[in-house]
Amino acid sequence: MPIAMPEPGQLALAIDDLTVAYDQKPALWDIDLEVPKGALMAIVGPNGAGKSTLIKAALNLIPRAAGSVLFHGQPYEAARHLVGYVPQRGSVDWDFPTSVLDVVTMGLYGKLGWLRRPGRRERAKALAALEQVDLVELAGRQISQLSGGQQQRTFLARALVQDAQIYFMDEPFAAVDAITEAAIVNILRELNKRGRTVLVVHHDLQTVPEYFDWLTLLNVEVVASGRTCQVFTLDNLQKTYGGRVASLHGGQVLAAGG
Amino acid sequence: MMGLERALIEMLLQFVTRDELNAFLRSPQHTATLVGCLIAVCGALLGTFLLLRGLSLTSDAISHTVLLGIVIAFMLMTGAGLEGDTSSPWLIVGAAAAGVGTVLLTEALHRSGLVRQDAALGLAFPLLFAIAVILVSRFVDDVHLDDDAVLVGEIGLAWANTNSHCFEHCGVLRITPEHPAAQQTRQCANCRELGISPRDERAEFKEVCGNCGVYSPAQAWSAGLLDEAPTLVFFPKSITVMLVMTALTVGFVAVFYKELKLTTFDAALAKSLGFRPAALTYTLMVLVSLVAVGAFDAVGSILVIAFFIIPPAAAYLLTDRLSGMLLLSPIIGGAGAFFGYDLARGLLFGIFPVAEGIAALNAIFGLQLREAWDSSISASVVLTMFVIFVLVWILSPRYGLLASAIRRANSRRRFEDQVVLAHIHNHQGTPSHAIELQAATLHLHFRWTPQKMSRVLMRLRALGFLSLEAGSAILTQRGDAHVHAFRKHMLVAHNIPDIDPTQP
Repeated sequence: MPIAMPEPGQLALAIDDLTVAYDQKPALWDIDLEVPKGALMAIVGPNGAGKSTLIKAALNLIPRAAGSVLFHGQPYEAARHLVGYVPQRGSVDWDFPTSVLDVVTMGLYGKLGWLRRPGRRERAKALAALEQVDLVELAGRQISQLSGGQQQRTFLARALVQDAQIYFMDEPFAAVDAITEAAIVNILRELNKRGRTVLVVHHDLQTVPEYFDWLTLLNVEVVASGRTCQVFTLDNLQKTYGGRVASLHGGQVLAAGG
Repeated sequence: MMGLERALIEMLLQFVTRDELNAFLRSPQHTATLVGCLIAVCGALLGTFLLLRGLSLTSDAISHTVLLGIVIAFMLMTGAGLEGDTSSPWLIVGAAAAGVGTVLLTEALHRSGLVRQDAALGLAFPLLFAIAVILVSRFVDDVHLDDDAVLVGEIGLAWANTNSHCFEHCGVLRITPEHPAAQQTRQCANCRELGISPRDERAEFKEVCGNCGVYSPAQAWSAGLLDEAPTLVFFPKSITVMLVMTALTVGFVAVFYKELKLTTFDAALAKSLGFRPAALTYTLMVLVSLVAVGAFDAVGSILVIAFFIIPPAAAYLLTDRLSGMLLLSPIIGGAGAFFGYDLARGLLFGIFPVAEGIAALNAIFGLQLREAWDSSISASVVLTMFVIFVLVWILSPRYGLLASAIRRANSRRRFEDQVVLAHIHNHQGTPSHAIELQAATLHLHFRWTPQKMSRVLMRLRALGFLSLEAGSAILTQRGDAHVHAFRKHMLVAHNIPDIDPTQP
């Protein structure tokens, strides 16, 4: 699959020969991935394809066996302020005694650094981010009283407040209601319009062409990566999902496994 | 430590006289309560984070394995020819190392993927504790360590283990043979050697000073060697140790509040933002170890866990904010320590005499229980904390058992009301009206008992939602509006997830 190579200076993310293994069992195998600035990219693949692992390895959350990752040409330690991360909703304890506003403010802790406390400015920024995800009226609510979709939007607001250049979102659409899905899509488009790069681990093949202009198909190795219109083919999907994708009909996937 | 105590005493002497201070510190109750409260404050603050991280039992493990650190440090010190003093800083270093070692060993076992987290803890800490027990029994005979002290500590005796500080007439007295107070005696130098009596001609004598040596002011006074009494303050060592621990703990939590909150809630985000969750975790564990050592003398190694876990568990049910937990749990712990001493002396919360309760039990059930009550202080403190926890558990305004039961009953009642109102709304004005809405037979349509239906109807009439006309239930205007509001709410709620704060 020929992929149009962008100029190196225009790359938001350059992953080179990345291999990650759990107990010598490869979870990601020799990944080469280049994402141009301003791309809105879906990362799609079956369960166990290493989608979340890819994000975590890029952000140094898990050790790499080999390879390098550059953000705007810099390693992660130097580019931390460029990166926003939305982890999977289930990765935290939502019974933690804190408020929605407080969770969103946590996105600013990185800029504050050690010891400095959030103040009025941080509060205003957090409220503005909550406005964007339509949760302002729940700012003071205990987080255990949120629905799944509201939790996801809280996480999204926490990433927005970071005002990053590159966003990594791990399954933001997993088990959310229609309103939240629409809100997330709006946010993605808004970020895209402002020239931000967004990588989203995604499960629903149906919505890929509608939501994303770039696509990476992943199954331990990169199967294909590039503009959605070029990559989103039955052939590629079958290679990714091992023949469990039945047919493409007018650009619509009729049956998808995984 | 002596310098710190002295500064503290000098500060206190600004407010109270020396005699008042000595009298206060010499009371077992005051020292025990103070030490207990300080342990409770440290435990509650650190325990809040342990509880929220799902590491409650780690405090139990650490409070046991610090013994290994103490013993190894003790052995190394004796090996290096140092005096093996139980309040030496090296023992504290050893204990902190053992605490961190416990966590490392547990994580290594867990990370192997062959042992679950709880089992890893269960493997690691008895191992380290067993090694400590063997080392104690094989190599360290004279270390003060009996079963009772390990079990429940000796907080009641904390007042007796003091450092004395002298403020006036503090001359260190050195009695030499030339000193007028020296008690010289003649002693036969070769009697035993030769097997002769001192009266024998061959006996040689030497002068021996019976009371020569260096006397601290306190010793000199009690030996009657001083004309003027030195001004002394006896300061219990446990208070100093726990004050230092409390300062460290409060300082750590206050300085790193933001970082602790972030790493406890979302360690991955903390790491990706450039913080060091692992460093904070290990600092937390070092502090837990230090507090466990500091509390060891007072409450033993088993009951310590109660000081770490019960207060935060109670506070968790009372507040929705981490800051609230950090404020409430030390208060709960402190109250437990304060009233615990009373309970040990037979007064629950300082008011209710336990003896009367036992007398009542004896009277009702014909038991022969001894009514006099005098029990372990640390166990009583834990018991008091638990009583507070149970009260909170039942009565907490938002999460308590009582509040939940009332909420559930209310929502069940509201639901029953809606079911009946909707039914009336649907059939009102239809041909089947007369059959469906007969108040006397309404319960048959719902398969409810007549009692339940009449209860619901009574309630709805009292609320003004329906009236009875010719034995048929009819919605009032208000009832009609209520049904419409509910339907609208339900339709909206179908799209927007329920955000009712009464729903957990």
